[in-house]
Amino acid sequence: MRTSGYSALAAGLFGSLLVSRTAFAAGGMPQLDFHSFAPQLVWLAIAFVVLYLVMSRLAVPAISDTLDKRQAKIQGDLDAAEKANEDARALVVAYEKRLADAREESRRLQRTQAEADSALASARFTELGEKLNGRIAEAEKRIAGQRDTVMAGLEQMAGEIAQSAYAKLAGQPADTGALGAKVAAAAKETSR
Amino acid sequence: MHSPMEQFEIKRLLHFKLGGLDVSFTNSSLWMIIAVILATGVFVVGMRQRALVPGRLQSVAELGYEFIAGMVRENVGNQGKKYFPFILTLFIFILFCNVLGMVPYSFTPTSHIVVTFAMALFVFVGVTLIGLAKHGLHFFSLFVPKGVPWVLLLLLVPIEIISYFIRPFSLSIRLFANMLAGHTMLKVFGGFVVMMGILGGWAPLAFIVVFTGLELLIAFLQAYVFAILTCLYLNDAIHLHH
Repeated sequence: MRTSGYSALAAGLFGSLLVSRTAFAAGGMPQLDFHSFAPQLVWLAIAFVVLYLVMSRLAVPAISDTLDKRQAKIQGDLDAAEKANEDARALVVAYEKRLADAREESRRLQRTQAEADSALASARFTELGEKLNGRIAEAEKRIAGQRDTVMAGLEQMAGEIAQSAYAKLAGQPADTGALGAKVAAAAKETSR
Repeated sequence: MHSPMEQFEIKRLLHFKLGGLDVSFTNSSLWMIIAVILATGVFVVGMRQRALVPGRLQSVAELGYEFIAGMVRENVGNQGKKYFPFILTLFIFILFCNVLGMVPYSFTPTSHIVVTFAMALFVFVGVTLIGLAKHGLHFFSLFVPKGVPWVLLLLLVPIEIISYFIRPFSLSIRLFANMLAGHTMLKVFGGFVVMMGILGGWAPLAFIVVFTGLELLIAFLQAYVFAILTCLYLNDAIHLHH
């Protein structure tokens, strides 16, 4: 910085010397007219002070205020965006949790329903089986009853046949009690 | 044919005297006032709406503000905040004077050494006073480089002192000479265009077109250099290190 300052100084001096030689030839450099210094300096002071007041009182507060406001707005927007992003993430997490819960629930429901269905089915199966067994037992009892009736009829018929055959063979009525017991014993023997 | 120096002449537009002092309103004063009005237009009228989404003029004002605010923050630090309005004013004033000087038939107040020297001297004296107020006599350690053998100090301290006191001169002559040389050059080549006529005048004319672009760059650059050197001097005074 310093060396460039010197070179600029040298260049400036050289340039002004060069120019002043041509200028003096043409009647002098206006920059060296001492009578013009006072009005230039006075108006420089006026213009500079006015501009300084305008800048420091009006422009700088207005601009820094605007820049601050913009910065605050941008920061606020960024924060809001960040918050919205976080909310969205939380929503996604909640949605996924609810989805998983629902899946779990449906699986559970399916399982309990299947269990209930199979329990009902087996209950009905047993009920049906019992009913059928009952009817089989009843039918067997009826068959046994009818067979007893038939057998009793057969016994009676065999007794009567044996009585009439004895009467015809022996020529006298048989002893009903003894004959009956023998017939019953024979019938028991054959049905065995 | 006109002298290329004629454009720098101070013309009194309104004659005023205050006591024995000549305070006439000159062409230089006129263009300083125009610079102040235009700067006010950009920075106050442009900021009138204080829009969160800036318009064109407001963007320009904010750009200038942030440019100088960044410069002060980087080169001076937090303690430079107090001086920010001054450095902004300095930059904007020089920039507007320089750029308005490029308008044909206008006048460039910064092409006069008395104007640039007054500003440079104000900065120099102000910075020195700030340094003295902040550090007292310790301020003079600025002239003693650290970690140098004392034999070398005999040589270095005078150099440091000279380089310190040469600051207002280098600061003011740099700006003044750049403005002077640029405008003189444009005028000289303008003369060439007239001299060489319709046949040969195109070459200097093309040069003028290109050089005008360069001059606009220099108009900005010199305002920037003046402002940043002010920041560096301020930093030296506040922090006392090189």
